[in-house]
Amino acid sequence: MKTKSKSHGAMPVLIGMAFVIPALILFSVFILYPLTTALSYSFFGWKGTLRGDFIGLENYVTIFTKPPFDEALPNAFSHNLFLFAGAMVFQNSIGLLLAVVLHKIGRLKRLFQTMFTLPYLVSPLVVGYLWSLMLSPLFGPVNATLKAIGLEELAHPWLGDPTTAIWAIVFITAWQWIGFPMLLYGAALGGIPEEVSEAAEIDGAGGVKKFRLITLPLLLPALGTVTILTFIGAMEAFPIPYAVGGSTGSPAGATDVMALLFYRTAFESGDVGSIGTSSALAMLLFLFIFGVAVLLRTSLARAERKIYG
Amino acid sequence: MRKRLSALGLIGVAALVLTGCAPAAQETAEPTDTQTGAAEAVDPVTLTMWSWRTEDIDKYNTIFDVYEAANPGVTVEFEAFLNTEYNQLLATGLEGSDGPDLAMVRAYGGVQALIEAGQLMAIDDVVDTGSVEQSLLAAATGRTDGKLYGVPFATQTLQVFYNKRIFDELGLSEPTTWDEFTALNEAIAAGGYTPLALGAKDSWMLPIFHEIVGAARYGGPEFREALLAGTKDFTDPDYVASIQIVNDMTKYMVDDVIGVAYADSQIQFTAETAAQFPGGSFELGSFTEAGLDLGVYLVPTPPNSVSNKPISAGWADGSFAINKKTENEDAAVKLLNWLASPEFGQLFVDEVKQFSAIKGLTYSDPVMNEMNELFASGPTAYINLVDMRYGEPVGSTLIGEGIQSMFLGDMSAAGVATKLQDGIATWFTPGA
Repeated sequence: MKTKSKSHGAMPVLIGMAFVIPALILFSVFILYPLTTALSYSFFGWKGTLRGDFIGLENYVTIFTKPPFDEALPNAFSHNLFLFAGAMVFQNSIGLLLAVVLHKIGRLKRLFQTMFTLPYLVSPLVVGYLWSLMLSPLFGPVNATLKAIGLEELAHPWLGDPTTAIWAIVFITAWQWIGFPMLLYGAALGGIPEEVSEAAEIDGAGGVKKFRLITLPLLLPALGTVTILTFIGAMEAFPIPYAVGGSTGSPAGATDVMALLFYRTAFESGDVGSIGTSSALAMLLFLFIFGVAVLLRTSLARAERKIYG
Repeated sequence: MRKRLSALGLIGVAALVLTGCAPAAQETAEPTDTQTGAAEAVDPVTLTMWSWRTEDIDKYNTIFDVYEAANPGVTVEFEAFLNTEYNQLLATGLEGSDGPDLAMVRAYGGVQALIEAGQLMAIDDVVDTGSVEQSLLAAATGRTDGKLYGVPFATQTLQVFYNKRIFDELGLSEPTTWDEFTALNEAIAAGGYTPLALGAKDSWMLPIFHEIVGAARYGGPEFREALLAGTKDFTDPDYVASIQIVNDMTKYMVDDVIGVAYADSQIQFTAETAAQFPGGSFELGSFTEAGLDLGVYLVPTPPNSVSNKPISAGWADGSFAINKKTENEDAAVKLLNWLASPEFGQLFVDEVKQFSAIKGLTYSDPVMNEMNELFASGPTAYINLVDMRYGEPVGSTLIGEGIQSMFLGDMSAAGVATKLQDGIATWFTPGA
C-alpha cells in the first residue's frame, strides 16, 4: 500500500518529532529496554540474581543440547506449531464460515456476533479452568452427557490422554477466540463493494465460484492479519495450556509449550543459573516470532500487490 | 517496509549500546558497617520481615506481640506478599537497598539462588539451632559452601488420610500389615467407595504418592544415604520395585485416574466418594474445614521391603533468614535466635496451626498430634524434593512425568527410574 502522506506544510519536522517523543519514551522503557536487557542477560552466567561472567552463546548451546531442554524444547515447540496449525484449520476456517453466513443473513447479525465474541471477554485462564472442569472424567458434564445418551464408548479422560489433551487445547482456544477471526472477516466482507459482486453475478459466476474468485482474494488482507495474529497467539500460548495441564504440561509433557518451558525454567527451576537460560529461551522465541511475522507480512504484501496492482 | 525495519534496527542497536553501559552488573553485596554497641537494646529498633503467608498476617502479629513485650524497644513488622510473586519481590528487595531485615525464604533448591548471590547472612556462629530438628537444616544450607543461612519454620509430612465415618460404616480399621492394607482397599471398593483418591493429572502429586506407598519398600533414609554417597542410584531394584507399587495401586483408584486433577481428587475425598486420600499434611486444613472425621496412618511395609517399619517422608517448607544488608544486624540475630527456640515453636504451632521444625512440641489438635507422632516414628526426607532440586531438571518433575507415562502404559517402572536417574545425573554428583 503506497500511502504518501507528505505533511501539508503545517508542521515543521522538529515539532512533529516532539509529538513522537512521549510514545517513543514509553516504547523504549516498556518494550525496548526489557527486550534488550533480556538479550544481554542471555549472554551471561548467573548465580541467582548476581550476574557472572560473559559466556557468549553458552546459554543458547545449553537450551539446545542439555537435558531437559534437548527433549523439552523440540517437544514444546512442536506443540506450538500444532496449536498454530490447529487454529488455522479450525478456528480461522470456521470463523470465516461464520462471517460469511452472518454477512448473508444480516438480520440477527449483531446478536450472533455478540454471542460468538462473548468468550473472548473472559480471561483465558478462567476459560481453561472451566473447560478442565467440563472435561473432568469424574464430575465433568461432557463425559456425563456422553454416558447419558448411550455413547459411553466415547467418554474419555480427555485431558489425561496425551493424544487428546493437545486437541482439547486446540478446541478450547478455538472456542474462546472464534469471534476474533469472525469479526475481522466480517468487517472485510462488509468492505467488498456491492458492484464487484453484482458484476461477477452478471458475468455468470455462481455462489462458490464467486466466493473463490471475488470474495476470497478481496479478503486477503484480513486473511493475512488473522494469520499473523494467530501465529503470534499460538507461539505465545500460555494461560490455557497452564490451566489445563499445569506448568509441566501434563500428562507427561503432552501439552507442554514454549511459554510453559520458559516459565518452568525461569520460576520453578532449582538451577541457580536459570536467569541466563530462561533469557536465552525468551530471546529465541522472540526472534522466531518476529522473524516469521516479518516474513509473513512481506510475502503477504507481495501477494496483495499482485492482486491490487 | 524495508526503511521502517532498518530504522527499527537502528533504535534497537542504540538501546542495546545504552543498556550495555547501564550499571546492571553488581559486585557481591558490600559489607555493611555493623554497629556493635551496648546501646542497641535500648535504641528503638524496627525490624521488617517479609513473607509469602498472606493468610497468616494476624497470627504472626500475635506471635511477634509476645516477642515485642519481652524485648522493649523492638518492633517487628510482618509484611506478606502474594505467594506467586514473592520470589521475584524478595530477590529484587534483597538486591536493592529497601529490602527487609529478615525474610521467609524457600527451602532447599529454592533458596540456593539467594545464597549464591550473597544476599543472605550465614548464621552458623550466631544462631543456636539446637532445638531444631537437625535433618531439616538442609533446607537452609548452602549447597556449595555448606553454611547455614536460615532457621526452618514449617514442615510437611506425608501419610494416608482416611474418612472415619466410611471406615465405621464398612467396619474397617487402620491396617498394620500389607495384607491388611490390600484387604482394606478391596473392602472399600466392595462397599461402593473409591479406595484411594489421587489427582494423577497434576504430575507434582505423583512423587508424593510414591513416597507414601513406596518409601518403606526402597528403604527411606538408608537408601537416601547410599544415593547421596553414590553407592546406589535410582535404578536400584528396590527403588524400581517401589515405583511398581505405585502402578499396582491404580486398581484402587477411579478409572482414567490420569485425567483426574488434584482439585478433583480433593473433592472426591471431601464429598465422601473416596474413603482415603494419600497426601501431605498441608491438606489437613481444608479436610478439617470440610467437616470430615479424619484419621491418619502410615502405609504398612510392602513385601520385600528394605525398611522394617512404615515410613513417613517429610520436608521443611521454608526458613527464616537474615538479609545480609540489614542495618539492624544485632537485633535481627537476636530475633532469629528466638525464632529457633521452643517458645516460638509452641506459639507457631498454637497460632499458625502448622507443623513446626522445632522438636518436642505438643499439638492441641489430636490429628496433628498423631501425624507428628507418625512422622517421629519413621522419618525420612522426601528425596526428590529435598535433594533433587538443585539443578535442572528437578527430580520430582522427572518422576512425576515418568509415573504419568507409566499410568498411560508407555513406560515401565524401570523406565521411570532410568528417566529419573538420567535426568538428575546431568547436574547431580554423588558424594559432593
